[in-house]
Amino acid sequence: MGLKVREAVEKGTRLVVIDPRRTEVSSLAEAQEGGIWLRLRPGTNIPLLNGILRVIFEEGLANEEFIRERTEGVDAIKTHVMDYELSQVEEITGVPEDRIRDAARAYANAGTALILYGLGVAEHKGGTAGVMALANLVLATGHVGRPHTGINPLRGQNNVQGACDMGTLPYSLPGYQHTDDEKALKRFARLWNVPELPVDPGLMEPQMYDEALRGNFRGLYVVGYDPAQTQGNVSHVRAALKALDFLVVQDLFLTETARYAHVVLPAACFYEKDGTFTSGERRIRRVHKAVDPPWDARPDWEIVCLISQAMGYPMFYTHPSQIMAELSQVTPPYAGVSYERIEGHGQVWPCPAPDHPGTALLHTERFPIGKGRFVPVSPVFAEEDADRDFPLTLVTGRRLEHYNNASMTRRCEAFDRIAGKEFVEIHPEDAADLGIVDGSSVAVESRRGRVIATARVTERSRPGSVFMTFHFSETPVNILTSPGLDTKTLTPEYKVCAVRVLPDDDSI
Amino acid sequence: MKTVTIEIDGQTITVEDGATILEAARSAGLDIPTLCHISGVSESRIPCLLCMVEVEGKGRHRSCATSVEEGMKISTRTKELEEFRAHRLQLLADVHYGDCKAPCNLTCPGGINVQGYVNLVARGEYHAALGLIKEKNPLPLSVGRVCPRFCETRCRRILVDEPIAINHLKRFVADYALERGLTEEVGAPATGRRVGIIGGGPAGLSAAYYLRKYGHDVTIFEAENNLGGALRFWIPGYKLPNRVVDREVQSILSMGVHVKTGKRWGQDFTLDDLKTQGYEAIFIATGLHRQKALDIEGGEYAIDGLKFLRDVNEGRHPLIGDQVLVVGGGDIAVDTARSARRLGASNVTVIYPRSRVELSAQQRDIAEAEKEGVQFFLMAMPLRIHRMEGRIRVEMARTILGEPDAKGLRQPEPMPGSRLNWSGECVINATGQEGDGSFRSFGKIESSIQLTPRNTIKSSPSTMATNVPGIYAGGDVASGPRTVIQAVSSGRRAAESIHEFLLSVKTPVEPRFNFSKGKRFEEVDLHNFDGFSIRLSEVMPARPPERRVTDFGEVELGFSEEMARREAGRCLKCGCTGLSKCTFRELSIQYKVNTSAAPSRLRQPIEDSHPFISVDPNKCIACTRCERSCRYDAIDLHFEHGESGHITSVRIRLTERCVSCGACVDACPTGALVKKAVVVPFLPGEAEIVKSVCTYCGTGCGLDLVVTHGAILEVKADGSSPPNYGALCVKGRFGHTFYRHPERLKKPLVREGIDEPFREVGWDEAIRLVAGRFRQIRDAYGSNRIGVLSSSRCTNEENYLLQKFTRGVLGTNNIDNCARV
Repeated sequence: MGLKVREAVEKGTRLVVIDPRRTEVSSLAEAQEGGIWLRLRPGTNIPLLNGILRVIFEEGLANEEFIRERTEGVDAIKTHVMDYELSQVEEITGVPEDRIRDAARAYANAGTALILYGLGVAEHKGGTAGVMALANLVLATGHVGRPHTGINPLRGQNNVQGACDMGTLPYSLPGYQHTDDEKALKRFARLWNVPELPVDPGLMEPQMYDEALRGNFRGLYVVGYDPAQTQGNVSHVRAALKALDFLVVQDLFLTETARYAHVVLPAACFYEKDGTFTSGERRIRRVHKAVDPPWDARPDWEIVCLISQAMGYPMFYTHPSQIMAELSQVTPPYAGVSYERIEGHGQVWPCPAPDHPGTALLHTERFPIGKGRFVPVSPVFAEEDADRDFPLTLVTGRRLEHYNNASMTRRCEAFDRIAGKEFVEIHPEDAADLGIVDGSSVAVESRRGRVIATARVTERSRPGSVFMTFHFSETPVNILTSPGLDTKTLTPEYKVCAVRVLPDDDSI
Repeated sequence: MKTVTIEIDGQTITVEDGATILEAARSAGLDIPTLCHISGVSESRIPCLLCMVEVEGKGRHRSCATSVEEGMKISTRTKELEEFRAHRLQLLADVHYGDCKAPCNLTCPGGINVQGYVNLVARGEYHAALGLIKEKNPLPLSVGRVCPRFCETRCRRILVDEPIAINHLKRFVADYALERGLTEEVGAPATGRRVGIIGGGPAGLSAAYYLRKYGHDVTIFEAENNLGGALRFWIPGYKLPNRVVDREVQSILSMGVHVKTGKRWGQDFTLDDLKTQGYEAIFIATGLHRQKALDIEGGEYAIDGLKFLRDVNEGRHPLIGDQVLVVGGGDIAVDTARSARRLGASNVTVIYPRSRVELSAQQRDIAEAEKEGVQFFLMAMPLRIHRMEGRIRVEMARTILGEPDAKGLRQPEPMPGSRLNWSGECVINATGQEGDGSFRSFGKIESSIQLTPRNTIKSSPSTMATNVPGIYAGGDVASGPRTVIQAVSSGRRAAESIHEFLLSVKTPVEPRFNFSKGKRFEEVDLHNFDGFSIRLSEVMPARPPERRVTDFGEVELGFSEEMARREAGRCLKCGCTGLSKCTFRELSIQYKVNTSAAPSRLRQPIEDSHPFISVDPNKCIACTRCERSCRYDAIDLHFEHGESGHITSVRIRLTERCVSCGACVDACPTGALVKKAVVVPFLPGEAEIVKSVCTYCGTGCGLDLVVTHGAILEVKADGSSPPNYGALCVKGRFGHTFYRHPERLKKPLVREGIDEPFREVGWDEAIRLVAGRFRQIRDAYGSNRIGVLSSSRCTNEENYLLQKFTRGVLGTNNIDNCARV
């Protein structure tokens, strides 16, 4: 994805980047003539976006025709954002007023403009609100429903899209059919040959942990996921896992989560099985089995079938194509999908019928709810701010070289040479204040814990904030991260917590 | 869209206006050679000029850089153009320094990809290693024990310390697979064509294996009651136990080969009979059974060595006494002598008329025989054998080499006046096998088969075809006495040409084209080994001589897994791992480029410091594809050219801007840039492309997994496929080796409490436990007390089943996935 942005920039596409860190992408914007990099304070997305929206309205840059035809609630939003005096916004976000104006003009005046956003929007207490603030920009400018426009979340993991499409969510069945949709429930019950299906929404993952600690949740089956390393405020998660009566972990390696398991089942990796993945652009594509699973490992689908059978439910398939044939009957966007069709370049859903070509571009005529609704969004403050005791803000994220808990990438040849240990990126000014030199061992402490890492003194970090990843199990950065959760989705607030960085005295 | 119509090599082509001539030609399926062109990327600053074409009335133009114009008439293959291309390629070849294929691979009579399987062993991918061996040799258990190792004699590691113990590694992977149960092999769909094989020895078995792979119906006619031929009857059990031969035979028969044992050619059937029965092709692989006569006075008192070995192998222990003389110097003689020791003879002497180095037996075997107490009496020959009162007296003489004969060979002859005496209980004639043309009286077809002067069947060494169409012959019956691997190889060649004969197809022959750093050791520049430290070969564990001479149990015990991996890790990887992408080699073959002028010295060191990429400037052809494919401006590339047009100096440096995406390696059309993780050299078409999707982020980049025998060799991307159109990041292109990491979970693990250690169990027990505990919690506390967390690494189908399981079986909506991370 970064490469595509780079190519676009080389071809003259103007780039606006909002990021507290000097990433590869923000460097592109910095280096581009006309490129704009808004280096905001971590946790101030919403005021900044509201400030941009204010400029769009104030300077008459909005797409009035689009607003009239396709949206509702514009008056309320206009009133709302007029509260955001740009001088105030500058004070809150640290981004100069004129840069905010430049960004607003660049985006609104472009013939076509595309918003790509990552977890830096979502992983805040106000994550959902931040996404809505972005959506307001889209609605105000009409940059949607045409080629080269729209708003695209960049998925941190490969088949998050497909997992959600398939209804591994406590509130929706496959194809985003709600769990209280009685007609849908009947269809599923009939197809699955079960008398009834649960109607009440289930627990979201963080709720499972809370309930486990209260003694109300006893058994958990975790497949291909390592929350004991990758969840925010991970000590809480670990305590919850410990409190379970029974934990089954199914994975490739003995992960941190597997340390709390009663049963660990060896799974096949994606080179070792057939199936489909759905990418962030909703493209459903085949993965083909290339090699055999090692020793006794088996594909996840086979294991689920075995457990179901052992629990008395007949679940038999000889090949994943049969599962696709079944799910396409009850998952409307996938209704036209079959293995025959998706060989080659795959199929972009919604693909409601076998002769439907798929839908690369959404929202061309209307939005799923009809008109796009402006929603006034107010800042949601982070769970904690930097203060006297913990004066720095820790931003966490990922590095190019590693994937999530790095159980795979750290076991690939030579990856230890390019990214073998955890660093804490700290701005030279902060480092100088703290007497920290590049390459030295430092302790990073939050109210919840302490980890040791190597200092990397770099201007990639914004003064006042430091950056770390959660790839290294021996440096469990999520011990530090905030207990804050997005108010709606309960996504952990990975992007902001208060820490202090000290020279690691033990290493001397 | 505006189009223009042009003519290329007489073919009328309509293309979009603005297309280049090269694009136009490709759109019509015409190939114009090029080394530097990458579609969609800027031109090279040093064009390769191979794509030059002749435009009527306008002279020569580079087809990659010239747009089509209405009515253009273009020739791409004129004699002058082809000569020009050959000249351009020759300039590059004159400075190209490297080995295409490794010396071990080229030396192996079976043509086995030795470097490939050795390095798969080093990575612990034993099944893949075995698969690679079996592409050329379906008898690895046997060959792995008895091969004379042509490959090891050419191993370049000799220039550092000792050769790689290649054959021991072959034996290791074959034994490893045997211990863990052989994987079922299946042939191609049945063709319904019948092939008869006469003789179930190594050549016949090998032919049967490959013919079954092609899907033909194969029947082996074997005179004896058991298959295996020389492996079973002649090679002693202390080298190759019969139970190993049984397993080897079984693995081939399990491919669905019909066998008729106890059917002797000439007695029970003739070739005409087989033809009548519908065998469209017949492969004669009977071996040679006749021992050369000991043509001296009293020669009849000598025991036949072949019969002796067979008796011993079948458990009949001939009475030979305490003092035994073995006449001969080949493998049969040494095997006979070592067997005689095991039968209790305390004094066993091999008599041979030439010197030690001329003994044709394997030197390793000679050394082992000596450890076991066998004595070698060299430069001596028997003249006369006397038998009296159960004792044997042999008159012999020391030898000298006579005057050169017509062929220039100096034959040994008795030294004038030399007379020596040996006395003992037994003389064994082990002078070796010879041809036997007596089969020609069996029938009509037989009578027309041509023989060689040595009375073996005359057959083509490349196709095994005899002069009679449909009749093939291989193994010793055609070649005379040779090694097992040579018989195996002839069986494979026979199968290939029979397949071509039956289906009238032509399989392309791999040309013998090869760049080489030196065919002989003394030609190889020793700077190639700068920085290598000495690491001697692993020593094969063997039973001590004093113990092993008391029985026929196997002497060599085989490498342990650790030894095998250490030994394999010594490989210098001489062969080029860029072969599969080497357009330069392809064009050099096509344009008959001469490799003899290629340099013989390493001009620049191979740069190995990049974590994923190895840079060998000695192989660079200055196409600049790497530089132009790099999106990060991370390649520092500099050339100098001499007056003759040759490249005189090359600098390729991957700078600190490199993000290890690997695009440059896949763009390089030679082995100048190769991926370190690619350890198997393979030619285009020798590995399968499996389409997949990257699992490392939500972009969903398409992957081409390059796979052989259950091992992923490398990962590439298809330039025509969305969304990535050939681009990948470091994880996508290089992050695949985790799949074979030793820490992969191997078996289900269970424990009662989380403070206890895990215990490995079978699936049944694990599943029973999981189902039981979930049922218990559900029934005792309710469905809502259980939950499931699913994964982005699971497929859609798996995610669907996980929620189906949660909702339909557990009865709760407590399912979520890892999307919050």
